[in-house]
Amino acid sequence: MEDLSLPKIDYAAVAPMLILFGVACVGVLFEGVLPKAARRVTQLVLALLGLVAALSVIVWQSDTRVLTAGGAVAIDGPTLFLQGAIIVLGIMALLLIGDRAMEHGGAFVAQAAITVGSEADRKQAVKEQGATEVYPLTVFAIAGMLLFVAANDLLTMFVALEVFSLPLYLLCALARRRRLLSQEAALKYFLLGAYASAFFLFGVALVYGFAGGVEFGTIHDSVTESTQSTVLLYAGLAMIAIGLLFKAAAAPFHVWTPDVYQGAPTPITGLMAACTKVAAFGGLLRVLYVGFDGVAWDYTPILGVVAVLTMLIGAVLAVTQTDIKRLLAYSSIANAGYLLVGVLALSKDGLSSTMFYLVAYGFTVIAAFGVVTLVRDADGEATHLSRWAGLGRRSPLYAGIFTFILLAFAGIPLTSGFIAKFAVFGAALDSGEAWLVVFGVVTSMLLAFPYLRVVVMMWLSEPGESTPTVSIPGGLTAAALVIGVVATLVLGVAPAPLLDLTTSAADFVR
Amino acid sequence: MSTGEAVTFWILVWPALVGAIGMVLARNAIHSALWLVLTMLSIGVFYVLQSAPFIGMAQIIVYTGAIMMLFLFVLMLVGRDASDSLIETLRGQRVAAVLLGIGFAAMVGTGVYRAMDNVTPAGLEQANAQGNVEGIARLLFTKYVFAFEVTSALLITAAVGAMVLAHKERRKGEKRGQPETMRARFYPGNYPGPKPGPGVYATSDSVATPGRLPDGTLTDRSISKILPVRELTSSESAPKGTEK
Amino acid sequence: MRPVIPYVTAALLFGLGVYGVLRRRNAVLVLMSVELMLNAVNLILITADTTVRAALPQTGQVFALFVIVIAAAEVGVGLAIVLQLYRLRATVAVDDVPLEKVDA
Repeated sequence: MEDLSLPKIDYAAVAPMLILFGVACVGVLFEGVLPKAARRVTQLVLALLGLVAALSVIVWQSDTRVLTAGGAVAIDGPTLFLQGAIIVLGIMALLLIGDRAMEHGGAFVAQAAITVGSEADRKQAVKEQGATEVYPLTVFAIAGMLLFVAANDLLTMFVALEVFSLPLYLLCALARRRRLLSQEAALKYFLLGAYASAFFLFGVALVYGFAGGVEFGTIHDSVTESTQSTVLLYAGLAMIAIGLLFKAAAAPFHVWTPDVYQGAPTPITGLMAACTKVAAFGGLLRVLYVGFDGVAWDYTPILGVVAVLTMLIGAVLAVTQTDIKRLLAYSSIANAGYLLVGVLALSKDGLSSTMFYLVAYGFTVIAAFGVVTLVRDADGEATHLSRWAGLGRRSPLYAGIFTFILLAFAGIPLTSGFIAKFAVFGAALDSGEAWLVVFGVVTSMLLAFPYLRVVVMMWLSEPGESTPTVSIPGGLTAAALVIGVVATLVLGVAPAPLLDLTTSAADFVR
Repeated sequence: MSTGEAVTFWILVWPALVGAIGMVLARNAIHSALWLVLTMLSIGVFYVLQSAPFIGMAQIIVYTGAIMMLFLFVLMLVGRDASDSLIETLRGQRVAAVLLGIGFAAMVGTGVYRAMDNVTPAGLEQANAQGNVEGIARLLFTKYVFAFEVTSALLITAAVGAMVLAHKERRKGEKRGQPETMRARFYPGNYPGPKPGPGVYATSDSVATPGRLPDGTLTDRSISKILPVRELTSSESAPKGTEK
Repeated sequence: MRPVIPYVTAALLFGLGVYGVLRRRNAVLVLMSVELMLNAVNLILITADTTVRAALPQTGQVFALFVIVIAAAEVGVGLAIVLQLYRLRATVAVDDVPLEKVDA
């Protein structure tokens, strides 16, 4: 047997992932060797440094366009842009995760194994510092997402999918308050996630049976050239799409979203709403644009129906919600629909506008969950909408920030939400998908109603006895809020630099 | 493929399918797991037949040997309450499940049948010429080396996660010392002595027979808690001719 | 022997797994149904190795190996989550609460 040699790996191009995996492993080691008191600061600083280092490598490598590691990893414009977006949003989420000013010990439980409601549990809820394992787990999740958007074959993509999903399942179970809800959320997310990845895998297996390879290049070639029966191809593509749409929270695979968003600790909800969405759509874009573009005519109508369904379900059910986290969850579902409209433009414009939308939405949604962590009473966060009535009188600054965020979600001009919606709808119109745009505009108007209802409640009703206080945010949450709000405003007023960047990045290598 | 292999195939398809049906229908969770083991073993033989001996062995050793045993372990930990009631809590769930599951199987099954009906196996003889394990290693350590290394992150996550969810720190004060244990033992309401043994008499030695206390009365304490729940018939659970 | 037999078998096994996930209420059994689905996937991957004339003929087997490893990790995490939920529910309901009173 001949000697095997390692394929050529462009270490500079994959350095961001290697840095983050390394940082996460060091973080796990620190859990073992550092004394308890020193862990939190060390872990937080280590994770932030790792993310900043990875981001600088991405900026430094911004002109790289290679297939590396034996063709398994593609570092190209969309990869670098999306990786950068995931890291920036990940830094914001990490700031929320690390903050312990609003609640003693932070948003995470100290020991998840202690029985809920027991004496020891009440003691740890008020006294003990939160578990510090969340930092390495978060970094693992972010590293997995970086690989997910860079994967150039379905095997690597599947491994990356699991690498970023498993830590998220765990993080969902670690809320300090309402622990039963949090653990139920983790169980639901895990079981449905495992179910969805089984579908993804079955699709991969069928596509392998059709194409004889799992690389997107091979799939692309056999999609255009093969004379075989296409049953395997279509069945496979459908099931791969189910797996990806599940992560992206598109209807009818969205059912987990409200429960999980509500039950998970709020900083983790922010991480899922922003980073997971970027990663899921990054993967979906690569699958559809690079691997299966030969059958675009066949899948566009079906995915179009999914997009319409997603927008409708998200918008209609958001109207009926009474919990702010659930409302944001349904809003996130509706936004997945708008993103799908951008994806289905199937053009360079579609790609760049979808990437712009992902970034704009990510900044806004993390800021929104940041505000949710601030509104609290003695039992933790007060998420019921009725409790938010009169908040404007009590704390005009934060109510103002939240109003601005909701207006951005609704797509009012001078916010990033408007530019982003304008871009994806424009790209879809250019590609002749006018029917999607019609539904998009109608559901946007429908979706403005629940947002405005919250705004009206905050400003026009009197604060009652049950109106919670708004905590003064710690420095970390304040930083995340400032980044999110400023980005939402800047991308709304002067979007040109980022739009140029997305346009110049919108080319996949094959 | 030779006829012998085809015959083995036709024989093994049935245990695989029967095992799967048994797995989804069995009321008792342990039975369910054992049915799944049957399916997995049959599939393992399939792999060996299809010139994939290494994966066949991995299937039997890792999947059947390790993962399924982990399942059984957890089922035993959770206890016999783990058996599943098939009562519908959501109306229409059964119909939906049947439609989705069976419909899915039928649709994909027929589709795949049509697609693959005329396909002949290309055979892996050439690929396996240099050895099956070597062939897998060649791919694993060249083309998929990045994914292979990243898998370690997954295993670290799993280990850390299991620990985070299960580990409880015990402080000095929380540990129950001998005096506290004694106090709890003689606390009013607790029964400090050993429990009486089951009633073994000349006419009956069933563990379901209650033992007799020194004062001659029968006691329930000697019967394992699980026995009455196990739906004994009335004659079984009745004292067995120990009355005089 | 035609490869259609294992293909159809795998489709049936996958369908049974889908049914099992939807029908079962016990979380451990749901997870077991997912394992059945993964087995169906592996069967297709291995069979596809013998039917396609691929440039890299053992991709399916390597993929199956990855699936087995990842299933192991997933089951580890999943059973930890399931066990914890069981423990909390069970102890809260039955024997933990009185014990607290005895201690106090």
